[in-house]
Amino acid sequence: MIEGGLFLTMLGETLAMWWVILPAVLLGLVVGAIPGFSAANTIIILLPLTLAVDVQVGVVFMVALYCSSRMGAGVPAILVNIPGTAGAAATPLDGYPMAKQGRGPQALAMSFVASTMGGLITTAIALLTLPWLAQVGYVMHSVEMIVVMLFGISLIATIAARDTLKGLIAGFFGLMIGAIGADHIYATPRGTFGFLELYDGIPLIPALVGLFAVSEAFHFIENRSIMTKEGRARMAEGGWGQTIEGVRMTFARWWHVVWTSLIGLVIGVVPGAGAAIASFVAYQQSRTFSKTPELYGTGHPEGLIAPESANNGVTAGTLIPLLVLGIPGGATAAIMLVVMQFHGVQMGPRLFMSTPEIAYGMIMAMFVTYAVMAVTILPLSRYLSRVTMISTIYMAPIVLAFTLVGSFVPREYMFDMWLALAFGVIGYVARKTGYHVSAILIGVILGPLLEQYFLRALRISQGDVWVLFSSTLGNVLWVALAASIVLPWIVGFKRGRSAQQAGADAEEHGT
Amino acid sequence: MADGGGPRRAGGELIVPGAALAFTLYYFSTIWDSPWEAQVAAFLIGCVLIGLILLFALRLWREVATGRASLAMGDMLGPPEIRNRRLAVMALTFGYLFVIGWLGFTLTSFLFLLLGMLVLEDTDRRLRRAPHFAAVAGALSLLGWAAFIRAFDARFPRGPLEAALEGVFG
Repeated sequence: MIEGGLFLTMLGETLAMWWVILPAVLLGLVVGAIPGFSAANTIIILLPLTLAVDVQVGVVFMVALYCSSRMGAGVPAILVNIPGTAGAAATPLDGYPMAKQGRGPQALAMSFVASTMGGLITTAIALLTLPWLAQVGYVMHSVEMIVVMLFGISLIATIAARDTLKGLIAGFFGLMIGAIGADHIYATPRGTFGFLELYDGIPLIPALVGLFAVSEAFHFIENRSIMTKEGRARMAEGGWGQTIEGVRMTFARWWHVVWTSLIGLVIGVVPGAGAAIASFVAYQQSRTFSKTPELYGTGHPEGLIAPESANNGVTAGTLIPLLVLGIPGGATAAIMLVVMQFHGVQMGPRLFMSTPEIAYGMIMAMFVTYAVMAVTILPLSRYLSRVTMISTIYMAPIVLAFTLVGSFVPREYMFDMWLALAFGVIGYVARKTGYHVSAILIGVILGPLLEQYFLRALRISQGDVWVLFSSTLGNVLWVALAASIVLPWIVGFKRGRSAQQAGADAEEHGT
Repeated sequence: MADGGGPRRAGGELIVPGAALAFTLYYFSTIWDSPWEAQVAAFLIGCVLIGLILLFALRLWREVATGRASLAMGDMLGPPEIRNRRLAVMALTFGYLFVIGWLGFTLTSFLFLLLGMLVLEDTDRRLRRAPHFAAVAGALSLLGWAAFIRAFDARFPRGPLEAALEGVFG
């Protein structure tokens, strides 16, 4: 654990680098908000810069960019239903309805405060419990990860609450689409329509751009504004009231922020697991334990807080396997590893003894970045939310042009732009006919990961499916999964009966 | 998809299950001779999906039989006054993807934004607003070039204008 003297020294040194943190935060917000761009490819673009400067400056820059891009991804997700990255895919479920109701500043303020609180809490926990937290990576094997994935996938049923059959069809269609590509063991091409570009599976950014941005743009041109009439009236009132209310509402739900960000931290520690899984699992769990689950999807504050806290909790978690084991937990962490190695820093257990200023410095940089973001970004919520007031005459062409090109960026294939359009058409038809695009996306994101862990478990057990119930932790998670699926049904059934009983009593007294 | 008192027009609701069923059968055809590791997950998911689609078809058939729904497609493209605009925007989007490989990001985006805004504007105001739209489209596409291509060096599709601008700015 970090000593007090070292802690204060690190804090002072990191605070002195505000001039690196501030531009990195602003840059991260922008690249996080644009689909196709991310912290990972921005750090690659700026690699000459991070390699040229002092290692500590480079580390602080990368970490600040990483944290703020996570927060930035939530901005278009809330305002125009376009998640900047897959990690923000659960954010529009309740964020966008809030924006449509003219509560954009409130939603953004809630997102910023939840992200900051989630980030600060998990960073502090990571700083204090680094050696123990690193053990999570050792106990979470394929079997346990299968159950974690199923927690996320069970959100399909939650989303499908209004029409379970349609929701499940959308979700399983997504899982089928997610299974496109060469198989993990023999590289047999499956469902690729003969396109070489699909051998690596469905690229996430074109799927995200198509299902959310393109289909939404085709959809919202029916009206001049993406907001309802009441929403426009509410936004026209202006002022800081909504921002302050958003901050107050998030602080009032501090416990919700704590436990959903911890979900993100634990999932983030597992190498390969990412923010998308964490945010879907957090949303699903938040709804399961909510007293008002029926309000989720209509602009419920907790439905926005949960994914935003969780995906920022992942940020701290991702760095732990990198620091402690030398295993990057994601693409951005892998690039950080390259930069560190260039500077002669060897990651792994010895890092904490040889160069503690780097090891703890990374986490401290994250802590300070979140603190800086709290004071610099929050005031922007009022102004950023004015995006929702732009007429769809401008908005639709802008969204289509820039997001379609954004889907080209990660792999530089023209094919990916066509793929985004194809997903856009699927998304448009799905929206028009009452199928939830989020359910399709959950399948596309989590399907390949689930198959990967499933096959790995089967290979280890030589085809014995009972391996799925062979570990104690796995079995505990299975029970928790079953409980989280069954409990809402029981609670709903009981509430229904109570309401029925109350109605009958009232009728009896009335007559 | 419901409309004023009559049966719900549910034909459109069959598009997604139909596409899902067709894709699942195609997917099965591509893994028929593959090792079991390549088949297991897809067969599990695909069989559940087919079961769900059959259930949905059964439910819809009952609704049609009892007169609660019809197999009419409904207004998939929205109300009549919007239909042409939506079709035009979709056609422009197809055109955007066809042309961007030759004309590059900046010029294609300018044309797409300008035409898109004109199409979505009311007919009687189009001509009057055209210069304004041209200015907005020009500013946005140049801003996109400056931010993404010039500053970030992002690998956006490039064409003659990008080459000319590179010649000017180095």
